[in-house]
Amino acid sequence: MNTASPIATHTIDFKAAARDLLPPGASYDACLSCGLCSAGCPASGLEGMDPRRFIRMAMLGMNEELSTTPWIWTCTQCQRCKYVCPMSIDVAVLVGLARGAWPTEKKPSGIVRSCEAQLRFPGTSAMGLQEEDFVETVEETVASVRGQGDRFARLEAPIDRQGAHFFVNQNSREPATEPEEMGPLWKIFDYVGADWTYSSTGWAAENFCMFTGDDQAWRKMVEQRVAAVNRLGCKVWLNTECGHSFYTVWKGVERFGLKADFEPASLVSYYARWIREGRLPVNAEWNTQGIKFTVQDPCQLVRKSLGDTMADDIRYVARMLVGEENFIDMAPSRSANYCCGGGGGFLQAGMKEQRWAYGKRKFDQITSTQADYVLTPCHNCHSQIEDLARHFHGGYRVVHFWTLICLSLGMLGEHERKYLGPDLARLGLGA
Amino acid sequence: MIKEPRRHQAELLVIGSGLAGMAASLFALARGVSVAQVGNSGVIAFTTGYLDLLGHDERGFVDDPWQALIRLREDEPRHPLANVTENDIRAAFTSFTQSLTEMGLGYTAPGAHNVLALTPAGTLKPTLSLPLTMQPAIAAMAAGLDTLIVDFTGLNGFSAREVVANLSQRWPGLRAARIGFPDMDSGAEVYAEVLARALEVPATRQLLAERIGPLLGSAQALGLPAILGVHRPDHVHRELQSLLGVPVFEIPTMPPAVPGVRLRELFETRLPQCGVALEPQHRVKRLELHTQGVTAHLEDAYGEVTIEAAAAVLATGRFTSGGLRADPNAIRETLVNLAVSQPEGRAHWYRPDYFDPRGHAINRSGVMVDEQWRPLDATGKPAHPRLFAAGSLLAHQDWIRQRCGAGVAIATAYKAVDAATQAARSG
Ligand SMILES: Cc1cc2nc3c(=O)[nH]c(=O)nc-3n(C[C@H](O)[C@H](O)[C@H](O)COP(=O)(O)OP(=O)(O)OC[C@H]3O[C@@H](n4cnc5c(N)ncnc54)[C@H](O)[C@@H]3O)c2cc1C
Ligand code: SF4
Ligand code: SF4
Ligand code: SF4
Repeated sequence: MNTASPIATHTIDFKAAARDLLPPGASYDACLSCGLCSAGCPASGLEGMDPRRFIRMAMLGMNEELSTTPWIWTCTQCQRCKYVCPMSIDVAVLVGLARGAWPTEKKPSGIVRSCEAQLRFPGTSAMGLQEEDFVETVEETVASVRGQGDRFARLEAPIDRQGAHFFVNQNSREPATEPEEMGPLWKIFDYVGADWTYSSTGWAAENFCMFTGDDQAWRKMVEQRVAAVNRLGCKVWLNTECGHSFYTVWKGVERFGLKADFEPASLVSYYARWIREGRLPVNAEWNTQGIKFTVQDPCQLVRKSLGDTMADDIRYVARMLVGEENFIDMAPSRSANYCCGGGGGFLQAGMKEQRWAYGKRKFDQITSTQADYVLTPCHNCHSQIEDLARHFHGGYRVVHFWTLICLSLGMLGEHERKYLGPDLARLGLGA
Repeated sequence: MIKEPRRHQAELLVIGSGLAGMAASLFALARGVSVAQVGNSGVIAFTTGYLDLLGHDERGFVDDPWQALIRLREDEPRHPLANVTENDIRAAFTSFTQSLTEMGLGYTAPGAHNVLALTPAGTLKPTLSLPLTMQPAIAAMAAGLDTLIVDFTGLNGFSAREVVANLSQRWPGLRAARIGFPDMDSGAEVYAEVLARALEVPATRQLLAERIGPLLGSAQALGLPAILGVHRPDHVHRELQSLLGVPVFEIPTMPPAVPGVRLRELFETRLPQCGVALEPQHRVKRLELHTQGVTAHLEDAYGEVTIEAAAAVLATGRFTSGGLRADPNAIRETLVNLAVSQPEGRAHWYRPDYFDPRGHAINRSGVMVDEQWRPLDATGKPAHPRLFAAGSLLAHQDWIRQRCGAGVAIATAYKAVDAATQAARSG
């Protein structure tokens, strides 16, 4: 994107907007100017802006500048600033507002296009994958997983099954580019005997409309997905390993006052529950080499929504999978974790240099754990952290939970190991 | 959407996550009491890292705080520290600094005397206990070692030249230098916290040592702003010392500073590991008091949370932290509407001269407690048999002028937890 300032469609009165948007007691007037927000924000300094400055400028009525600074596309709306602020002041809210005020043609086209693609077909896929293609890919992949052996002969990946307990969504990346990665997920459902279904509408798990700042588009997206769950009468909307996809639906339902008769849940909480109940008897016996792991807490899933309960579940699952002594936490972590720099549409925004600069802090954090692998339940985090390793020559890999779960249970197929290194490429496959 | 209601249950609820709240949780854990805790970081964010007990009285700087406490008991019998025995204060302080050290943030044990520690500007202030990363400054200054103070381009809130200028009389062997921090030397603003995190990476320490080494010359010690790591400062400190071969010490910087971030992250990581149900960065919206205990209502990002406890310690701090509020004509306690000791009307809050050495009446306002550390209501009786109060919220102390911030927080938390534990376990 070129960083020359565009003219916003309209200039926002940020101070007035803050009065309406911020909860009582969290007004910008309460700002102590302590700078903790800026010190703790990886976007500080990009485009000459940082959260404290943003607030000061809002206070001073410098609305023109705030309506045009490209910095708002480098802020991932991760809300770490709000978390560390002694007065809980939220900058991300105003960043969202500022994004909305940009003329569509000036917004980073990658985010805009992803949102448009989502609105085009009922599947809501940002990669433009259509309903028939999704269904077909799932069917073909099921057949291929069944072919892996007798124990999977009756494995199913139902679509549009009325009244299933779990409505499961699916990031487009798998059906579009790496369908074999869906296998491990289905095997887990099969193993625990989960009563689940995909849907042919509203199945996709990514959501960029919120990041365009266009509330109407965000709303439309959420409405489609909520309608899909309501249509099948599922009790639990089970969000697969993805952060912002959870946040946008959960928050959207609340914000737009939609009727949703189901409970939102993250897949990782269910992994944790199934492990505790003995239904998913994973262990770390496979990790005889003492391979080290750390986890990335997706801020959309932890700090911004489910809180430390979620972070604790993530760690419980990770420790059970890799062994207590092989798990090394990042610092800071849990609700205080840094965004990786892939969020807020940053990965789609085309501002690579800025995105790497933002992600450097995450890279340093990972490096100082000296972990061999980063586990994360978020596709965005996954892509960004992998990209950081490429860019800064990191020695780690990034892996999904489902891969390790199946590895631990001895049911990870030969072609389901894309994200594993040579150390694990053949483990459990026999000679 | 359908949401599961979330409830915590604990013997003790600690309201506030400043120094007093954190100390209260640690003391309760040490007694085997189950704890739930709620609160933002509060003014911990501004701390230098030094833990003061009593640094100043009408005679000026205090050298022996234990002697000064004896006088305080005579002169200010209502002062919170005047109502804790010397033994209890020692036990509280020692237990607190030991816990911090065991959790990975080393602190000196409280001694018989205050030490004079460096401020960000290079002046001196008396304090009782300091982080191990800052301690070597005391010996270096006492021995008058040739010492290099280094600051960084782009780092606001710390100037090596200012430190040297202010200390040169007392410490002639000081010299200042400014360098760029590895990979962050473009001249753009950098933050102490960011430098501190970068130093957790071994390769960055190596690069920094390579930049500083040649500047040392005859220097026998090195002073840096407080940037030696966030979560493993003692480790980073040792590593840098061994790379450079001289004692290294930190000097606190102006906010946003690292020592406060260290404390907050330490507590936020360790307390939950010890079993505390911590709701960090949230506030209790409403507190119900009933015969069997208390019920706190709050809201986090996901929704409503309820906490039931058999007793509660209120450690909500003063005006900045939100424990007290100044309404047009009166000062109020914000959560339970407790009685607040305060001057008659706004006109008496401040003396005409802001720098009047006698201090301002508003700074001594606050919540009053009985001998059991139970806060009083408007009738002068304890507001509730199971509610206790601690920290800077309390009346009759002026921590800014008396330099007794940590002392009041730690000592009163100790007593309040004692009393609350008894109440919680009395059935
Ligand atoms: C700039 C500055 C520098 C200082 N430097 C030093 C120093 O060098 N040495 C020293 O010893 N002392 C220092 N102090 C003083 C010391 O930090 C304070 O005295 C001490 O932190 C008081 O602790 P507290 O827990 O009572 O209050 P606070 O630290 O103010 O904490 C109060 C807590 O209560 C929370 N809270 C408020 N309302 C609610 C609610 N409804 N629900 C839940 N939580 C709530 C707040 O979020 C906060 O976490 C300094 C203070 C400042 C301001
Ligand atoms: S952390 Fe909060 S109070 Fe401090 S400068 Fe930022 S917004 Fe203001
Ligand atoms: S939301 Fe995240 S990226 Fe944006 S200003 Fe706050 S901390 Fe920085
Ligand atoms: S990519 Fe991950 S860390 Fe970054 S905003 Fe999304 S969930 Fe948060």
